[in-house]
Amino acid sequence: MSDVRKSQILMVFLVGFIFSTTVVQAQMPRLVLDIKVGIVDTYSGPPAVFSNDALNGFKLALSDINKAGGVLGSRITFVTRDEKFSPETGLSMARELVLQEKVDLLVGTINSATALAISAYAREQKIPFIVWIAKSEVITGAKGHRYVFSTGENTAMAGKALAQFAASRPYRRWWIAGEDYEYGHAIADAFWRYMKQLKPEVTLAGQTWWKTGEPDLIPYLTAILSARPDAVFFGTGGAGMANVLKTMRAIGFAERVPTAIHTAIDYTALKPLGLNAPEGVMGTTDYLFYYPETSDNQSFVRAFQSAYGTPPGFPAFHGYITAYFIAEAFRRAGSLDRERFIHALEGLRVRTPVGMVEMRACDHQAVLPMFAGVTQKSPKFDFLVASNIVTFRGPQVMPTCAEIQHARGQ
Amino acid sequence: MVLGFLASQLLVGLSRAMILFIVSAGLTFVLGVLRVPNVFHGSLYMIGAFSAFSIATQLGHHPASVWVAFLTAPLVVALIGLAVERTLLTRLYQREHLMLILFTFGVTLVLNDLVKLAWGADYRSILPPPVLQGSAVLMGVPVPRYNLFLLAVGPLVALGMWLFTHRTRIGKLARAAAVDREMVALLGIDVNHVFAGAFLVGAYLAGLGGALVAPSTSITLGMDHTILIEAFLIVTTGGLGNIWGALLGALLFGLTQSLGVLIWPQFAIVFPYLATASVLLVRPRGLLRSVW
Amino acid sequence: MVKVRRPATSETLAGRTWPIGFLLILIPALLPAILPIFYTYLLALIFVMGLLAMSLNLVLGYGGIYQFHHAVFYGVGAYAVALSITRAGWPAPVAFLLAPLASGLTGLFIGWFCVRLTRLYFGMLQIALGSLLWVIVLRWYSITGGDNGIHDIPIPSFLRQILPAYYFILAVVVISLLVLYHIVRSPFGVTLQAIRDNAQRCQVVGVNVRLHQLVAITLAATFAGVAGALYVVLERSVFPSMLFWVLSLEVLVMCLLGGWYTFLGPMVGAAIVVTLRTTAGRYTENWTMILGILLILLVFFMPEGVLGFLGKLIARVALPQGRQQEFKRAESAQAEEKVIPGRSSHE
Repeated sequence: MSDVRKSQILMVFLVGFIFSTTVVQAQMPRLVLDIKVGIVDTYSGPPAVFSNDALNGFKLALSDINKAGGVLGSRITFVTRDEKFSPETGLSMARELVLQEKVDLLVGTINSATALAISAYAREQKIPFIVWIAKSEVITGAKGHRYVFSTGENTAMAGKALAQFAASRPYRRWWIAGEDYEYGHAIADAFWRYMKQLKPEVTLAGQTWWKTGEPDLIPYLTAILSARPDAVFFGTGGAGMANVLKTMRAIGFAERVPTAIHTAIDYTALKPLGLNAPEGVMGTTDYLFYYPETSDNQSFVRAFQSAYGTPPGFPAFHGYITAYFIAEAFRRAGSLDRERFIHALEGLRVRTPVGMVEMRACDHQAVLPMFAGVTQKSPKFDFLVASNIVTFRGPQVMPTCAEIQHARGQ
Repeated sequence: MVLGFLASQLLVGLSRAMILFIVSAGLTFVLGVLRVPNVFHGSLYMIGAFSAFSIATQLGHHPASVWVAFLTAPLVVALIGLAVERTLLTRLYQREHLMLILFTFGVTLVLNDLVKLAWGADYRSILPPPVLQGSAVLMGVPVPRYNLFLLAVGPLVALGMWLFTHRTRIGKLARAAAVDREMVALLGIDVNHVFAGAFLVGAYLAGLGGALVAPSTSITLGMDHTILIEAFLIVTTGGLGNIWGALLGALLFGLTQSLGVLIWPQFAIVFPYLATASVLLVRPRGLLRSVW
Repeated sequence: MVKVRRPATSETLAGRTWPIGFLLILIPALLPAILPIFYTYLLALIFVMGLLAMSLNLVLGYGGIYQFHHAVFYGVGAYAVALSITRAGWPAPVAFLLAPLASGLTGLFIGWFCVRLTRLYFGMLQIALGSLLWVIVLRWYSITGGDNGIHDIPIPSFLRQILPAYYFILAVVVISLLVLYHIVRSPFGVTLQAIRDNAQRCQVVGVNVRLHQLVAITLAATFAGVAGALYVVLERSVFPSMLFWVLSLEVLVMCLLGGWYTFLGPMVGAAIVVTLRTTAGRYTENWTMILGILLILLVFFMPEGVLGFLGKLIARVALPQGRQQEFKRAESAQAEEKVIPGRSSHE
């Protein structure tokens, strides 16, 4: 046998051995018949603070559900995959969860691009996919379908709520600014769309967009100040949000011009800045741990606080209700059949910390109330909270089923 | 008003350029003396910011706490840099650039995961020292005092680097080694010593940049990404290994960015890239003399 | 002096004898029969990323060119397919042919500017120019879908299952590799390697260095475009991050990891990175740290990459005495070259 041939055979043998061991290991059969939820989300990098919050809420609810005996005689378990904010990786991981882990449904993500990619895959595989943080309205709107659900608020709802809140004030010349990515534009579009509907006399004084992760926003914000608009809307979130609030505070922005930002009153946005966040900023969110002061909300907050040492933010709330939607839907479906699960989830109402929440059948969007308010210091907390809170019920802020059908081109 | 606005835009652009300069100066110094394209320079910057946060919050509300952070956080980073250099990098100086990029990229992956384990995923934030909080009003436009402070720090760092490379023995040796390391070795000088010192300085500057940027932004995982590519573009524009080139490149980068906002806000992001590309097309080896 | 850069064993790995080449095609063709479907998908993904890495290696390993933003050409190929199907409504075959064309032209355009520069300067100019394209894709919401990307691209229905997609990808990748192999072995490829080893000398003997480099960049970009089109076949989605510099760095790492002196090395590198990324997440959240440690170890203990190292090891074990000597000579020639690093010899 020639030396060349020998070395080649050795090589092939080696590579084959390594590959086959990983395959065999991954092919171990499932021993317990649990209901298995596959979660794809970003657990490293800046967005991880939100994804971890959502996961904590989900875990809290699951432990209660499983302690009470689970559903259909099974426990609900979950596996997570870190997509590192990369949609390519997220898509591969969703496939791995479905084909290899044999999960019963998919849950995720904070990244709208990943959510849309997995949504397309879920439709092809006919597997339910519940989106819990990504806020793009096209997920359950124009690109919605039978297999995708959302348990969080979206840009259409937030924009409409904030527009209603701000329209009651006398500002006419608005400036729109934000982070130049999908979410920033989507929320700004929604806000402006509804603002013009509610108050046709408003005018757009100008727009400013900066790139995601831009560390220094002072040039942009001073440019806006110099144009002297009546009010400003910022389309930003996450780390960008903290930056906007910090810069506003540094140049006294909110004292000079009224400002509206979705999630500006949110705990996750205000916590990092402590008492140094700007006061008087108009904002919206779909969850506040201190409001409404109902016993349901308070007991959720107490349980969350004792488990994780921090109050729940909006992602924790989404994670929490996601678990209950899943458990209730399986209970109602009476089996692990995916189609029956979807049928059961459509129109399902579950009891949540903010009251009964329905999974709307026509677009698979959870009908969540939106809270609007203005940031203010509070003697009770070492961070800012919302004051003058106004509640908008879900139907007041959601696109109608007819509008959804129109957007889907039906 | 319009004039004041332009001036403030300029000032803020310049102060941003100072941070970029400090970080790039470290990168270009290491490139010049050690010939190492250090990909984990951005991670060192991020560690500088997180360390500054930890030190400042540990010291609590004392007015000097942030100043202490400015002084000590870069030292922490410098020591981390030195540790990597002494244990690993020192054995690799004879390797090709691509191997060095591969190695420093590997260190980046390790350091970034370590930062995640040490500080978690939360956003962090610190305030400027009390005397630098709030803003001064320039011709009717507010400019944060902290940015004015940065404007002063940048030239000080440049001066310090000049003094270091021209007035200290190790600095002069580093400069000589940048031009011809075999010659320095032939003179009977331990080049390893010089290299360690140069890497220490480079890491210190990355940490200083991180500590100084901390009060004006939110400190997050992933903040190493943007600065890394910006710093590499800046040092190439300026001429690899040339510290004054880094200053020029940083000014070009910072100013095109902040003035781009005025000209074409939607596409302000492209101006620094365009500036870099145009400079390199006209001067293929950067603005100033490069040792490469 | 003739510099022997690639040791003799790498030739054997490149399939000097036809049965080996045949096995290299036959095994992947039979694997789906025994593999779970997810691993078939993973193999297809590895082939796509491997083709991308190998196309980069044409300029990086064989050309010695610091191609730092190779992902741009991959992204352009993928978006060419996605846009011509979803926006222009063209038939899929046209779209698939358009992808390498668009990428090749982009390579020609960017390369035309870049070849005036050398090494790091070349790399950074390419990053600056490539980033402009990335910004366009990221910003032009109405056409490219911005950072959401484009999903559910209606490719021909017979390609929508994993198995047919796998064989389609395998066929295209095999053909591409054969073409790449012939390019490397052609007079052009040999000249390219000579330029890598000593550009000045080539210039003196009348070789048009820049033209050769430009052609190499264009060819590499074309194959990157093929890989981009294959990604669309597999995933039916495109994202702007496919044009981001981070992916370029990753592909570069694949080349170095697998062995950039070997023909198939980048494919091995792609296999390691892709497998680690999609399966190590099952066990740890810190899988990037594992990759980092792997890279550091690699630089120290197998700087010639995994395949290069295996080749050397096998040569030591399996080669008869006579060829051992020959091999050692080749190796020491390579080592000699490394003492005076490639840095000074290029300019």
